[in-house]
Amino acid sequence: MNGFTKAVAIAAGLVLFAGAAQAQERSATKQGFELPANSGKKILVFRPSISVGAQSTAGMFEPNGEWTEQAKANLQAALAKAQASLGNTVIVAPEAYGEDAQTLQEHMQLFAAVSDAVIQYQFFVGNRLPTKKRDNKNAVFDWSLGKGVADLPGAKDADYGLFLFTQDAYGSTGRKMLQLFAAFGGVSVRSGVHKGYAGLVDLRTGDLLWLNADAEMGGDVREADGSEKRVHQLLEDFPGSTALKAQAVAPATATATATAAGKP
Amino acid sequence: MRALGAGIGLLLASPAAAQQAALLPPYAGVYQPKGVDEIGLWQEADEEERQLAASNLLIRDERLTGYVRSLLCDTVGADRCGAVRIYVIRAPMFNASMMPNGTMRVYSGLLLRVRNEAELATVLGHEFGHYESRHTLTAFKEQRSGTDAVAWMAVLTSFAATYQNVRSFQNFQLAVYGGFYRHGRDQEREADRLGIAYLNRSRLRPQEASAIWQHMMEEAEASASAKGLKKPNFRLIAFAASHPPYAERAGYLAALAAPDGADREDGADRYRAALAPFLGQFLDDQIKLNDFGASDYLIQNLATMGWTGTLWLKRGDLYRTRGNPRDLIAAAEFYANAVKLDPTLAEAHRGLGLSLMKTGRASEAVVPLQTYLTLRPDATDAGMIKMMIPGESK
Amino acid sequence: MKFNTLRVALALAAVATLSVPADAHKLAEKGKVVTVADSKLSITPTRDWNRLSGKVGKHAEAWTLDGEQLDEVTFYAAIEPGEALIRERSKKKEPLPKFRKDMLLAELPELLERTYRTGKDARDFQLSGATPGKFLGRDGVSFTYVVTDADGLTRKGEARAAIVDGRLYMVTFDAPRLHYFDLLAEDARALMASATL
Repeated sequence: MNGFTKAVAIAAGLVLFAGAAQAQERSATKQGFELPANSGKKILVFRPSISVGAQSTAGMFEPNGEWTEQAKANLQAALAKAQASLGNTVIVAPEAYGEDAQTLQEHMQLFAAVSDAVIQYQFFVGNRLPTKKRDNKNAVFDWSLGKGVADLPGAKDADYGLFLFTQDAYGSTGRKMLQLFAAFGGVSVRSGVHKGYAGLVDLRTGDLLWLNADAEMGGDVREADGSEKRVHQLLEDFPGSTALKAQAVAPATATATATAAGKP
Repeated sequence: MRALGAGIGLLLASPAAAQQAALLPPYAGVYQPKGVDEIGLWQEADEEERQLAASNLLIRDERLTGYVRSLLCDTVGADRCGAVRIYVIRAPMFNASMMPNGTMRVYSGLLLRVRNEAELATVLGHEFGHYESRHTLTAFKEQRSGTDAVAWMAVLTSFAATYQNVRSFQNFQLAVYGGFYRHGRDQEREADRLGIAYLNRSRLRPQEASAIWQHMMEEAEASASAKGLKKPNFRLIAFAASHPPYAERAGYLAALAAPDGADREDGADRYRAALAPFLGQFLDDQIKLNDFGASDYLIQNLATMGWTGTLWLKRGDLYRTRGNPRDLIAAAEFYANAVKLDPTLAEAHRGLGLSLMKTGRASEAVVPLQTYLTLRPDATDAGMIKMMIPGESK
Repeated sequence: MKFNTLRVALALAAVATLSVPADAHKLAEKGKVVTVADSKLSITPTRDWNRLSGKVGKHAEAWTLDGEQLDEVTFYAAIEPGEALIRERSKKKEPLPKFRKDMLLAELPELLERTYRTGKDARDFQLSGATPGKFLGRDGVSFTYVVTDADGLTRKGEARAAIVDGRLYMVTFDAPRLHYFDLLAEDARALMASATL
C-alpha cells in the first residue's frame, strides 16, 4: 500500500470505521444447566449499564439523556415480559448504599473482568487459551464470580442474577448523509453502533450459567417493540428459551450464531 | 527562582498579562442542564459519579473532605458551592478535575504538593471555573463539529486521492485537531482567570496562585536532573498539550493577583494540620514511584516548615531504595534523625538497621533491628528481620 | 492513484482495525517439565496451564488458567543486578526500580511493590506477611500482599523469591480477592513448589 494512500486510509478508517468491532455474536451455557419453562424462578436484575445516544457524522458518541431513560424503562419492561413468558419472575435489584455499594461494585467489576476474559480467551477465534479451546471442544463452560454473590442486596430473595450491558449509538442525520454520499463513491461508511452483552449467574454458587455477547444488535431500544426485539437478541439461547425463539421477530441482518459446543 | 519565574512570564506573549482577571458571573440559582447535549453529558456524569462513590480508591474521611469542601465554599461562596460534590481520590499525581454535573475530584498527589490553603483554593476555584463556564459542553460541541468537518473531507479526498489532495487533507486534519488542543488550553486559561478572580475576593493571598506553577517547574527540573535528562523547556507548547505551559501560567497568575491581597494570610498552618493524618501515606505513595528527584524535592519543601520524624523516615526510605553506596550512608543518617525526633517510629529503626547492614556495619545494625521487633512484635515481616539478627530464634 | 486500489486500501484499513494477535498462547501440560522466562528455571505443572504469549519482560513469563484479569502466575528468572522486573516503557523518562546486587531478602517485597506502583499503576499495596522460606532449595522469602489497581479492582498476591548467584528468581500469583485467589492459591503454590534450577 502506497504511503499516502495508507495515510488517507488510516485517517478515513479512523473516522469512517469508528465502531466497526468484531462482527460476532456468541453465547455459551454452563454444561448441564437447564432452566425448564415454568419452573417459577426469580431473576434479580442488577442495575443494568444502558447507554443510548447518537453517532455524530465523524463517529463521536453523543449521549442522549431522554433516549437512555426511555431505553432503561423499555428494556426493563421487555425483560419482565420475556421472562414471564418463560415462567420466571424478574426482580429489580434494590439500591445499595455505603459498604454494600462498594461490594456490589467490586462484583460488577469482577463480572466485567470475567466477561472480558470469556470473550477474549474462549469466544474469540485466534486469541483463545489452549485450555479454553479444549473446553469448547468438550462443551464445557466453567466460569464463576464466587459465592460472595449470595450476600449482594436482593440476592436472598432470588435464584439467579442477571447482568446487562447495552450501548447504542444511532447514526445521526449527518452520519447517514455521509454514508449515502460516500456510497456514491464506492466507499463504505458504517452507521450506528449497537453492542450488548448479558450474563446469568447462580446466586448460590456464583457460577456463570450463561453469557451472550453481541457486537451488532438489532431493535430500536427507544421504542417499546424495538426493546422487545433487543431483549430477544440479548437473551438469545437463554436457557430454556425455545419458547422465546418461536415468538422472536427474524433479525434484519444475518449474524452468525455459534454456541460453545459448535465452534472448535 | 521567583524572579526567574517572573522573567520568563514577561518574555512570553504579553497578551496574557494584559488581560484582566475574569469578572465573576452573577449567581443564577440552582442550575439544571438544558438541551440534548448537556442533558446527555450530565446523565453520563451522574452514572460515573455513582461508580465513583462506590470506588475502592475513594478517601472517605469526613474531616478531610469536609475541610476541602469548606475551603471551596469560602472561596466561591456558599451559594455556588452547593452545586459541587467533592471526592478525594487516592492517586499520586498532581491533578484535580470537574465533571459537568458538579462532581469534583481532588487527587492525593495534589494535596501532597500544595503548601497552604491559598494554593489549594486556587485549584478549587479553577475547577469550579470549568464547571461554571460549562467547558465540557463547549469542548464537546467543538469536537463534534470539528471531527464532522474532517469526516466529510476524508470522504471527499478519497474520491480523488491525488498527492496534492491528500496533503491538503492532512494539513486540514492537523489544523482541526490542533484547534481542539488550543481550545482546551484556552479553556484552562479561562478557568485560571476565574480562579484568580475568586481568590482575589477571598480572605487568602492571591499571590500564592502563581507559586503552584513555580513549584511544579522546580519539581520537574529536579526530576529531570536526577534522571539525567535535559532541563525541561517550560515555555514550549506541545501540539497536543492540554494545558498552557507552567511558565505561562505562573506569569499571568502573578500579574492578575490583586496587589492589595498581598498582606492576607495563606492558611499554611491550618492546611498542614488538616493534611497531617495523611501526609505519611501520601508521601509514601509518592516515593514509591521511583522518581528520585521529584520526591526529594517534595520532601525538602515539606521540611521548610520544620523536619518531623515522618519526613526523615520517608527521606531515608527514598535514599535506601535508590540504594547507591553513598545513598545508604545518607539513609542511615536520615533514619537516625527520625528516631531522634520520634523514638517510636518503628519503620525508622528498621530502615536504619537495613542501611547499616548494607554498609558493612552489621554489628551496629542489631540494636535498631531489635528495637523494631520490640516496638512491633507482630510486624508483617518480623520473621525476615529476626533472621537477620544473629542468635535470634525464628 | 487508481480508484480500485484505494477501495482495497480502505477495506484493508477496516480489517486492520480488528485486532489480530501475533502468537498463539501455548499449553503447559500437566506433568511435563518446562523451562520458563528464557532461563534454566524449570517448572512441573500439576495441572494444565496456559502460557501467555507477549513479553512481560526480558526475563519474565506469565501463565494463566482463565485469563490474566482473573488469575496470573508470573515467573521472574535470573534478573541481573541493574535490571527491572518487567519491560520498561521508557528507560530514561519512566525508569522502573531495579534489582540491586546488595538487596536483602527482606527488601524484595518492596521491589515488587515499587514495580507495581510504577509499572502497573497500582494505587495501593499492603504487605500482609513476609517470612523466611525455602525457594529453589535455598533460603528465600515468602510473602503475601493486597494490591489495588487504578480501576479500583483489588487483588491478593503471594510470592516466593530467592537470590541465586547474585541473580533474582521470583514467582508471583495475583488474583482478585473475590473468589479467584482462594480458589487457585493451592494450584499456584504447587507451581512454586515445583520450581527448580
